[in-house]
Amino acid sequence: MRRTLPLAICLGMGIVMMCQFFIPHPISVSFYDLTTKWIRIVSAFALVLGVGSLILYHIDRLQRKRTGWAYSIVTLAALLITALIGLAWGVKPGSPLQEVLFKNILVPLNASMFAILAFYMASAAYRAFRARTKEAALLLIAAFVVMIGMVPVGAAIWGKLPELAEWVLSVPNMAAKRAILFGVALGAIATSLKVILGIERGWLGGGKG
Amino acid sequence: MQISTNIWTWVAVILTFGIFSFLWKDNPFYKFCEHLFVGVSVGYTIALTWYNSVYPDLITPLFRQGQLLYIIPFALGLCYFCRFIPKVSWFIRIPMGFVLGWASGVAIPAYFQTNIIKQIQGTILTPSIFARWDVFLWALISFIGVICSVLYFFFSREHKGALKLASETGIVFLMIGFGASFGYTVMARMSLLIGRFQFLLRDWLGVIR
Amino acid sequence: MNLFEKLLKIDRKIIFIVMAVLVLFPLLKPLGLGVSSGPRAKAAFDAVDAIPPGKTLLISVDFDPASMPELYPMLVALMRHAFARNVKVLLCGLWITGAGLADKAITEIPPEYGKTYGEDVVYLGWKAGVDAVILGMGENIKNVFPVDYYGHPLDSLKMMQEVTRLKDIPFMVAISAGTPGFSDWLLYAQSRYGMRVGAGVTAVSAADAYPYLQSGQLTGLLAGMKGAAEYEVLLQRKNYSKAYMPAVAAMDSQSLAHIVIMVLVIIGNLAFFATRRKRR
Repeated sequence: MRRTLPLAICLGMGIVMMCQFFIPHPISVSFYDLTTKWIRIVSAFALVLGVGSLILYHIDRLQRKRTGWAYSIVTLAALLITALIGLAWGVKPGSPLQEVLFKNILVPLNASMFAILAFYMASAAYRAFRARTKEAALLLIAAFVVMIGMVPVGAAIWGKLPELAEWVLSVPNMAAKRAILFGVALGAIATSLKVILGIERGWLGGGKG
Repeated sequence: MQISTNIWTWVAVILTFGIFSFLWKDNPFYKFCEHLFVGVSVGYTIALTWYNSVYPDLITPLFRQGQLLYIIPFALGLCYFCRFIPKVSWFIRIPMGFVLGWASGVAIPAYFQTNIIKQIQGTILTPSIFARWDVFLWALISFIGVICSVLYFFFSREHKGALKLASETGIVFLMIGFGASFGYTVMARMSLLIGRFQFLLRDWLGVIR
Repeated sequence: MNLFEKLLKIDRKIIFIVMAVLVLFPLLKPLGLGVSSGPRAKAAFDAVDAIPPGKTLLISVDFDPASMPELYPMLVALMRHAFARNVKVLLCGLWITGAGLADKAITEIPPEYGKTYGEDVVYLGWKAGVDAVILGMGENIKNVFPVDYYGHPLDSLKMMQEVTRLKDIPFMVAISAGTPGFSDWLLYAQSRYGMRVGAGVTAVSAADAYPYLQSGQLTGLLAGMKGAAEYEVLLQRKNYSKAYMPAVAAMDSQSLAHIVIMVLVIIGNLAFFATRRKRR
């Protein structure tokens, strides 16, 4: 029951939604509308899992006084204060959540986290990017062509560089990425079928039952 | 130069430098900023999910408009909370089965249509490619590239003879593809750093417009 | 230790400082390298240009503050283009942290062209459940978004009387920083509802979009900050906008940054091969 019921629901929904794509009958479309609405609601509740896990992890870290436990207070306090401010004063433009927390705390932190990657990319390019083999050299040459062809200085160096870069992207790069796309798509279809048919059961988790 | 007098701009600048301080070495200020970011972003997600999803999609139709059918997705959503009650934690499998079955069923025809059929249509050589010599040549190279790159990933047979030749040709295309991706990745990371610097120079110091 | 060995052991903080200085310099003293538009940005521009006045352009804001430098200028440029041609703009989003960014654009851009919220532009907001949102919009936008981002019922908005589902929209641009993004719009909106889709993406995912361009599934591509700069230049050329162009202003820094990376890779490889030869 503990495993059979969820698997049966998964099988039923999977087969019905697969077939629904090909059935334009009004009953089929109504069912599709209904389930689409329900999925949006159920998806919103999935947030509970992520938030709950995060809170439990930091509470555990606090209780056991593990390394860096003081920072868990920062995370939990920030989470609580932000959520309370948002729930109490709303999320509309002009609210404290948007004007203060989003614009002046979330945006700079989020943007800066990714901005420092530029420095690490430069350092990694200098220390680790070696043309040890023919394949690595080919990778480097393609990277150089795209890097220089896709910025204004490339056109200033040689007028045909942007065209060459565009050719590299449109022909060999396109062919390679298409091959990868086939593999990913077939893998996704196979995994979806396995989930529907109950062959892939990792999502059920472990434990009793 | 016109340094900003807005306190929130200064908060954003301090947090930016807090993240950048990691470039020197890991330090308590960076760790504080990192944990603050996690807390604020999760709190923001909670508030927005409530006001944008749960309240208009569930609370309003079920409790204010009396549409009792919404009890079903409500009950499914509540099952997520069972994750934290050991005796009934298996209930979480029910909404997961519902969502996974729905999503897998919907995804299969979509993936076939978008990532398999349309991509095959784009790969096959049609009479229109004979319009110009360069269109013909690039289409032929793309065709060969896609076939050879796909064959590289065929591991059911040992790569020898014709398969080895095709596989090695595929590697050439794949390396060019990865090189192109790396070139673009450099552009992406640099852009994010430039964006941060533009904020510091424009909004904080006022030295650029 | 010879020069090459010293070069290989250089402290990475020196690389960071060199990087920072060479990126900052062109922002303070522009080099004046012009920006020309490529075929992919031109295709996206032409597609938006072909939307009849009075019809609607859908823009999906699928990015977060981390990708703002690359993607926010695209959003702004697309809105300016649409408003200059009296095309209405409908915004929505699949990323929760992008909700506030679309609002920022709505506050800044419509007043430049005398456009009114509710008549010329509507922002639907964010909703959970990516594929369910797109599929739901395909049948009936009001079922997915009964109210807009600001709490107005969609029935009360004049623009939404004519736009009830995805088929009422001739063209859309998905501005995406990853997943969910343009690939989800292709998977669900295009495969089921035949939607015409253009994409604005971060440079990281630009190379992956080319198979969709070649097969005709994507109409036009704006790739990273360069793509945004190309669109801004096209807008100016056609006199649709005389506003400040932030992406174009950043291109000099971008050029120098790329040259720095290339020089670092070349020096690193020269030093590596020189020391390897010496060891042999």
